[in-house]
Amino acid sequence: MNEDIVVTGMGIITGLGYGKKQTLEALRLQHSGIGKINYLQTIHADYPVSEVKMSDNEMRNFLKIPSEKIITRTPLLGIMALNEAINEARFDKNEARKIAFINGTTVGGMEKSEQYYPEFINTEHYIENHDCGSSSEAIAEYFGNFDMITTISTACSSAANAIVLGANLLKTERVDVAIVGGTECLSKFHLNGFNTLMILDKAACRPFDATRTGLNLGEGAAYLVLEKASNAQQRNIKPLCKLSGYANTCDAYHQTASSPDGQGAYLAMQNALYESQLKPEDIDYINAHGTGTENNDLSEGTAIMRIFKDTIPPVSSTKPFTGHTTSAAGSVESIISILALQHDFIPANLNFNHPMPELSFQPVKENITKKLQHVLTNSFGFGGNDTTCIFSKIE
Amino acid sequence: MEALILELKKEIIEVLNLEELTPEDINEDAPLFVEGLGLDSIDALELIVLMEKNYGIKLNNAAEGRDIFKSVRIMAEYIAKNRTK
Amino acid sequence: MNINIASYCRLTNHKLEVNDIDIQIQKTEASSLNDIYRHLNLSYPKFFKMDNLSKAGFLASELLLKNIIIDKETPKKDMAIVLMNRSASLDNDRTYQTTIQDENNFFPSPSVFVYTLSNIVNGEIAIRNKIMGESSFYISENFSPEKIYSAVMNTFSDPNINQVICGWVDYEFNECDVLLLLIRKENQEKIPFNVNNIYHLYT
Repeated sequence: MNEDIVVTGMGIITGLGYGKKQTLEALRLQHSGIGKINYLQTIHADYPVSEVKMSDNEMRNFLKIPSEKIITRTPLLGIMALNEAINEARFDKNEARKIAFINGTTVGGMEKSEQYYPEFINTEHYIENHDCGSSSEAIAEYFGNFDMITTISTACSSAANAIVLGANLLKTERVDVAIVGGTECLSKFHLNGFNTLMILDKAACRPFDATRTGLNLGEGAAYLVLEKASNAQQRNIKPLCKLSGYANTCDAYHQTASSPDGQGAYLAMQNALYESQLKPEDIDYINAHGTGTENNDLSEGTAIMRIFKDTIPPVSSTKPFTGHTTSAAGSVESIISILALQHDFIPANLNFNHPMPELSFQPVKENITKKLQHVLTNSFGFGGNDTTCIFSKIE
Repeated sequence: MEALILELKKEIIEVLNLEELTPEDINEDAPLFVEGLGLDSIDALELIVLMEKNYGIKLNNAAEGRDIFKSVRIMAEYIAKNRTK
Repeated sequence: MNINIASYCRLTNHKLEVNDIDIQIQKTEASSLNDIYRHLNLSYPKFFKMDNLSKAGFLASELLLKNIIIDKETPKKDMAIVLMNRSASLDNDRTYQTTIQDENNFFPSPSVFVYTLSNIVNGEIAIRNKIMGESSFYISENFSPEKIYSAVMNTFSDPNINQVICGWVDYEFNECDVLLLLIRKENQEKIPFNVNNIYHLYT
């Protein structure tokens, strides 16, 4: 029951590129995925976003999905990412193991529904693919073989919560393998929504910068393959790292804003540290939620100061690279954190220039090479839904 | 001005879902935010939408709203001066 | 250690039942969640800002926790909220869509957008009662006592959690379908928490 939970496969697709290799290269070269909107048809073309640089057709061709099969962008991104994760984890389809697929998404098939809504009676049946569950099933169907499929919809913490649920299912021995993460494509619905909340930036986002005025949206998908250490050993596969600790808490303050003292974030980090049996000074790098909004960065920064006090490790938000991938952010950023861990490399917090007067720390401005043993990543969602995951090297 | 103040009170009650209030319950000189009606950040954003939708006044960010939304009377005076609808 | 159902609330268009007590509310055609709010004499004006899903979940939670959570201000770190439904936030999403549908009358509503996420109902219950433990929301094609049971038992694998508000909270096409349960680790004789009992409270 108290065995290590390890990561044996990872797959990712974002505005930085397809796969871990392209992602790491973009991080090292400081090539952001944020730019002008290209694929999404919207009047809000002046908001920088991070789009995956592949059209739906290009992804369909890559995945050899027949043209008559109706599938929307969110699951296409999901299948691309899951493909890489499953290949790395080397599953034998004939193995008799219980495998769960836990997918975080909020947009689901909405980007097609809104495109075809005025004429839906006459065009294809995208409406059936609208809801979140359909996206998860479409992804699962491509691969087959899952004993359990479920969808988590807790906004920007969805993918991180998928990791939490997967880990709990493994601990309670309900499944042998949990494939967890999230996927989200851009849509006019949420682009307009974030715009109406006035938290989008018309320039590139600047997390933890005193002049920050908002976030840039992004799209992408990322999945991790989780299993118990003994299971990985039986399958003869070398784990990439372990999930030492995790926690989900509620800020209980406001529907969309975070509390001034970052209480939810504080509790999430505190509980994750406790579960991992680590002390704050053991953490070598924090990949922050760091959206670049006035509210989040102050709230999260305050929580970091409260937990880490005089031993605040290097902190960066990688959202200036990938944009805020909303329901996929938790797994996108977990994978980035694990890449950092594997390569002893801390990616810069791009666009930072002016320290926040309220904080005792600044994010890292340049890439750093440093031996990393434990990394912590935060994902906070609307509804005060706060999740922290800690990944560690295996000795 | 009195007519605009009354109209504004009714609109505020409607867009902010202040279902238990009538225009008579709102003091036009009392603060709208923090004390007074105790409105929050999302309410401020809805008032920004209201300004554009009903009066053709476009505010660019939430900070601009802070001064204008100090009370119903201040809002009404700003609208009277700047409305394009 | 026994895990028990300490309290439950069943709310549909035709029924409002709390711990075996049927709450009679004058049901007229215009009868609605707002009427239930007024009938219960709650003093929480923020209620009227919520969407139907959040209103339904909130009202059920007020009844569920009546006489159990008296102090709404002290943070409850050992309590989690784990909810599920089928239609996510689609009821409210449709309302939001009307604010962006017409190019010539294009005014996305921020207060409506806030509720285009299923887990905001968790947030509303948490804000009201200062509940700070785990908060999750799952989408499931149908009401499933097995999935609810499984999710809650997973949540209890965290030793810090002693109580879970769980259940099914769905609202679509004017149909309200809510079953909320308060699950606790305790030794007293209560309704045991198991798949059969969840099923019986729903039907």
